[in-house]
Formats: sequence, C-alpha cells, structure tokens
Amino acid sequence: MAELKTAQIVGTPALDGKYIAEMDQWPLECPEFNRNYTFYDNLRAGRFTTTRCKKCGHIAFPPGVICPACWSEDLEWVDLPKRARVVAFTETLAGAPAGFDCPLIIAWLNFGKDAPLRHLLARIINCPEGKLKEGDEVQFVVFEVPAHPIDVKKETKICERVFYAFEPVNK
Amino acid sequence: MTKKKNAVILGGGVSKFGVRAATLFDMLQEAARAAADDIPGLKPSDIDGLIIASTMAGRHSNALNTAPLVAQRLGLKPTSICVRIDTLCSGSNTGIILATGLIESGIAEVVMVCGAEKVYMPQRWETNYTQLMVNDHDWDSAMGLGVPPPFFAMIAKMHMKRYGTTKEQMAAVSVTNYNFGASNPKGQFSGKTLTMEEALSARVIADPFTLYDCCPLSDGASAVIIASEERAKEMSDRPLVYIRGTGQHATHSVSANWPGETLAEWPHLKKAGEIAFKAAKLTPKDIDVLQVHDCFTISEIIELEELGFCKKGEGGPYVASGAITLKGKHPVNTDGGLLSVGHPFGASGARQSLEICRQLQGRAINQVKGAKFGLAHNLSGTCAQHTVIIYGTEPVD
Repeated sequence: MAELKTAQIVGTPALDGKYIAEMDQWPLECPEFNRNYTFYDNLRAGRFTTTRCKKCGHIAFPPGVICPACWSEDLEWVDLPKRARVVAFTETLAGAPAGFDCPLIIAWLNFGKDAPLRHLLARIINCPEGKLKEGDEVQFVVFEVPAHPIDVKKETKICERVFYAFEPVNK
Repeated sequence: MTKKKNAVILGGGVSKFGVRAATLFDMLQEAARAAADDIPGLKPSDIDGLIIASTMAGRHSNALNTAPLVAQRLGLKPTSICVRIDTLCSGSNTGIILATGLIESGIAEVVMVCGAEKVYMPQRWETNYTQLMVNDHDWDSAMGLGVPPPFFAMIAKMHMKRYGTTKEQMAAVSVTNYNFGASNPKGQFSGKTLTMEEALSARVIADPFTLYDCCPLSDGASAVIIASEERAKEMSDRPLVYIRGTGQHATHSVSANWPGETLAEWPHLKKAGEIAFKAAKLTPKDIDVLQVHDCFTISEIIELEELGFCKKGEGGPYVASGAITLKGKHPVNTDGGLLSVGHPFGASGARQSLEICRQLQGRAINQVKGAKFGLAHNLSGTCAQHTVIIYGTEPVD
C-alpha cells in the first residue's frame, strides 16, 4: 500500500493558481455570458427586480429571456418587494459550504398575499447567532462577491460581481 | 395498433453502501455482480440496453459521458440504448420509467438500469461544496443552500406548527427504519438497531433534526434488470413482477416557485401519486408494501399523507401507530430505507425497486406475507420533483 505523506500542497499544480469560474458558487453575471445581466446591474443600483411579460402580465422569478407562462419574448424589468417576513429559518453553526461563514442563516420568507413573489428561500446576513425570530421583518441587501477573470480578445479583464440577501430591519 | 408489451422487473443487486474505499466503477461492477447472483440465468450478453443514473459522476469521478464507460466496465455492448441520466435522488427509478417505455414499445428487450454515486472525496469539504451545484446554482445555491438538512428542517418546523407533529413521531420513523435495516447486509448502518431513547437524545444536526432524523451521505451503486415479459420468462423461474403504473411530476427548481401553501404541503407529490395510481388501476388501500423517500424522517411522514395512506396532517400519529412496521397496515422501507441503508442519490431508486421486487416475489429479508402490490417513491432536489412507480404480481390488462 502506498505510504501517505504529510506535505504542504497549495492549489492544484496544473492550474497554477488560476481562478476556476466553473467551480464557483456565484453566477456568471456579465453581459458576455448572461442575457439577464440587467438583474445584476439593477442589484448594483440597489434594486431587486425581475422580468414581467408585456403580453400576458406574468411576473416570473427568476428572470428569463422568455415568459415561462406564454413563451413571449416581449418582457420588461419590474421591481420586487424588498421587505418580507420570516416564516421559518435554520442556523448552520458549523460545516457551512466553503465560501459561506457560520452562522449560515437560511430563512423561508413570505412577501405577502398579493406580492408578485410570494415566498423565497433566502440567506439572512448582518444577524448574530440566536437573534432572529419567526415573524421578524427583513429587508433586501446587496453585497460584493468575488470577481472573476474573463478573456476578451487577447486581454484578460475582471468581471466584478454582487449578490443579494436579506437582513433584519431591526438590527 | 399492436398491443403494447408488458415490462417486468426480474431482480438486481447493490454494492455495499457507505463511505467506500472504491471508485464509481468499482461499485458498479459490484452491483452488476450482485445482480448476476440474484438472477442466476442472467448473462451480460442478454442485456441490450444500459441506463446509468448518476448526478456526481461528472464532477467527482471526472466521467462526463458516463454510459460508455460503464458499458465497458460491465462488458456490455448495448444495441437499443446506452445513456446516462440525472434526476438526482430519483435517478434510477427514472431510469426504470424510461426502460419500461422502451420495452413496452418494443425498442428494447432487456435493459440494465443502474445508479451510482461516489460522493466522498479525499477532502470532506469538497463533498459539501459540490452540494451547492445540485440546487439551482445561480439562485438558491448562491444563498448557501447546499447540503439538504437546513431546508428539510424548515419543512419539519412548519409541519410541526401546522399539524402538531412531534419529535417522538419523527423518531418513530427512524426507529422503524433502522430496525428494518439492521438485517440488510448491504446497508451503511447494517447491524445497527435504534431505540426511541437513542433517537431522541442524539446530537442536533439542524433543529429540530437530531442525527437519526437525517439520512447519511453515501457512496454506492445499484442495478436492476427490466425486461419484456417474454424474455423474463426465458431468463428466470421466479414470479413475474410487473411495472403497472408510473408518475413523475416536476414543478419548479427555485424556491420562489414552491407549489404548496407552505413547505408542509407537497401538492406535486399528490399529483405524481394520482397519475401512477390511475395508470396502475389501484388505490393506496391495495398497496401491501412500499418504499418512500425517507431522506429525513419528516419526508416519510409527509409522503404517506400526500400519497393517500393517511389524511393530510395525520402522518405523525399514523407512523407512531405502528402502521409502517412489518405487522402494520402498510409496511414501509422494509430494507431500512435511506435512513439506514444510506443514500447514494442516483442509486437509491433501483435499490428501492429491488426491495419491492423481492417482496412481491416472496423472498425479502423482512417479508410482508402474501404481498401482491408495491410502490416506490423518490423526491429529488430541494423537493422539486416526485417520482412514483407501482408494481404488481399481475399486469394491468
């Protein structure tokens, strides 16, 4: 049987420290890779948005390039509610996936009976362990996530990225 | 129009499930060998089709076009179909639905449906990290939703709140399934029995779940043989077990489009069950033995409700009444289920269907006396899709 050695190994040698976008947990957000890049541009402007069908009126989440109700391509961007109530939640205190800190709080949110988005599973940030309660009001919040390199002709450019979560209204 | 052929399940085999010192292909070879032991008349050259279900093969085993790799390792040279499918936890039962269609239509005669996963990597964090890729990557996964316990814990909390389900009722599921699984030589927790006290006092995984409420992550492989009735009679003397009806219903991937009023209602499972029962010309009352997807104890409770074995909201008292034990009205997960046998995603469906096959042939380890009709169910993903197959010792027509 081969002997197991204790060694210092940094990264996968063949990859020479390169960023691997396909192993990443965040979306590819830039226009070169995603026709719904407007969602992320809107996040940068502090807006929580999605696509609404101009033909049948259906508001879809997540956004798309066709309407999932009638397959029309005639869509517009509309704002979604930025506040919701916590229906249930769990706090992961150890063993969160790489890239996420503990406590990792995931909540089932309700946006209200008449909202275009009824419920959503979302991460709650800016909230210490043991603080969140069922029924609490939370609000939409945008934060930076790691950028990735992108080949544009012969150059390597950097695609900066953001994502969103929710945080308690009363911190 | 010519009458469609009948498809039957002959038998099959599984590798040992658990944390395995083996590759994906090692375990598939073990499952195929076990299938050959289970069906003495079976030769590799009898098999004209191969369907392999695996979610992790591309990532953890660097095997993107998996099917030809499996065919080679098993010495198969398929002529009707050779394909990998991925529906996560329902993979190999989905494969059985596809094999049934191919056999009923005359495209295939003898199909090996297998499922396999190698989930444990040299470093444990890699397994948890990859779990982020099995949900809707750009949406729910980016919220940190990876391994399933947090999501199902919320389901349990809502079911407890709306219907009064208790931790003791949930523990009735784990105690029953572990005690069934103790006699399963291939299970991850083979030999392990469980008491109510042990279940309730175990360490917390994700409130309200303790250790035994959650199925483990598992490596493993399974294989079953689905064949036309005519070919099956040539290959085996055992009673024939017919695929009477199937149903699969997918409603969403991102949590925003969850179809229930709350997480405690699973209308998509109700519909998948109704479709399968209608095709099988049976009702829940007719089912003698069943396998439902007990990835968590609460899952089994809700599944028995939505499939119609008890009223909505009464799953807790129903499992606590002993209805799911060998002497009960409808014994469930008689080989130990996901909780005790383990859950190598794509392999679980065929493992379940094999247990139903053995039950209906009268040769299961925990045999339900005189069982004629059985059901197998999987959920997959973040409870996004449901798959139901109903078996019987007689064909529908």
